[in-house]
Amino acid sequence: MQYELRYQVLEPKRQTYQNVIDRFGDQPASRYLEATLDVEPRENFHYRPTWDDSRELYDADYSVLKLADPYSYTDPRQFYYTPYVTNRAALHDEFNKQLNYLEERELLAKLPAAWRTVLSSVVLPLRHYESGAQMVSVGGARFAYGTSLEQCCTFAAFDRIGNAQMLSRVGIAIGEGTGELLQVAKREWLDSEHLQPLRRFVEEAMVMADWAEGLVAVDLVDSLVYPVLYRELDEVALTGGAGAYSLFTQYLHTWFKDQRKWLDALITAWARDERHGEANREHLARIVATWNPLAHEAATELARVVDRQLPDAGAVAALARTTTAAEQRWAKITGDAA
Amino acid sequence: MSETLRQVGIDIQESEENRGLIAAIRSDNPELTVRHLPGLVKIQAAGQIVINRETVEREIGREWETGEFQLAIVSFAGSLSEWDDDRIIVKWEH
Repeated sequence: MQYELRYQVLEPKRQTYQNVIDRFGDQPASRYLEATLDVEPRENFHYRPTWDDSRELYDADYSVLKLADPYSYTDPRQFYYTPYVTNRAALHDEFNKQLNYLEERELLAKLPAAWRTVLSSVVLPLRHYESGAQMVSVGGARFAYGTSLEQCCTFAAFDRIGNAQMLSRVGIAIGEGTGELLQVAKREWLDSEHLQPLRRFVEEAMVMADWAEGLVAVDLVDSLVYPVLYRELDEVALTGGAGAYSLFTQYLHTWFKDQRKWLDALITAWARDERHGEANREHLARIVATWNPLAHEAATELARVVDRQLPDAGAVAALARTTTAAEQRWAKITGDAA
Repeated sequence: MSETLRQVGIDIQESEENRGLIAAIRSDNPELTVRHLPGLVKIQAAGQIVINRETVEREIGREWETGEFQLAIVSFAGSLSEWDDDRIIVKWEH
């Protein structure tokens, strides 16, 4: 008796889902593409929104910035639910470990007085800014046209609330387990002179009818505030006896680099779109002209307060460097649109 | 003296992570033939196959070290004539 072993290939009837086949043909595709391409409904809406009968429920006209095909843009990080959650869970685990370390050794409570003031009057109030930026991202999550854009906004919204939580936890740790410092920070956010330009900025971005304009506006502030507070100031902290500050800001800085990846790619896609590129570049230029001076004013106020408390920090000088870098980056991603 | 170009080939394990790698190899090597076997993707080309770190990073959306290539391959036919931080080239050297 002899056995002959042979292997037999069973061809699957289809390699991937129809939404991917329609675009790329029948070949194995990534989970990201399967979960993203053409997922958002485009037709057969039963009725128009009761609050806006000039538009469909999902409509490209919710923003002046448009893509001929929203799926010509894909998230460079290729985040869909699982990789996003895994990635961020790891980030927050790391943050927790760092914070536990800081708490065990009471390093935050031992911060020099000037640094405590900087934290409670500049850094901690930014959790309210994060919260406002979350609302702006949620607007994008609802009104962006195309799943590839919309899901990036959704994840950004979750990230923002995560950032606000990180800041809150630091505040609680500095306040030795009480919410006292967070209350101080909230009063600062509501009443202090130096925070009003930023508060006004984010509140106006929140009520922008055009979701994309709000998103780009918030990004203009981000690209000034994040590098100054979470990178440049972090280096000052290391040499100035506030190593604890450095340990938790690195997460916010890491997050900002990650945020840049999808947002830069999106702005580039808008600026270079074959059908709408020219109009998009004009709109982007207008958005920058409108919001950038306000963003700059808001960031300058913060930098001044930092410099008043920590004369060696040079935050205003750092802001000037950051501004130049942000302008160069903007010119690069838009192909000199603005 | 004319030489016919011999085929070089790489067999890559088929998985979600390696799909971007395969897409990158495809875009860098237009002459490629790709065959899907169960659990395996066989890619072949005449002469050489080039893998650029930058292309792979663009496809998979994260940083990638050329050393990670070892985790993806099952076997290969040819010699690894170049393997540095930015590029891997598979071709026959003799």
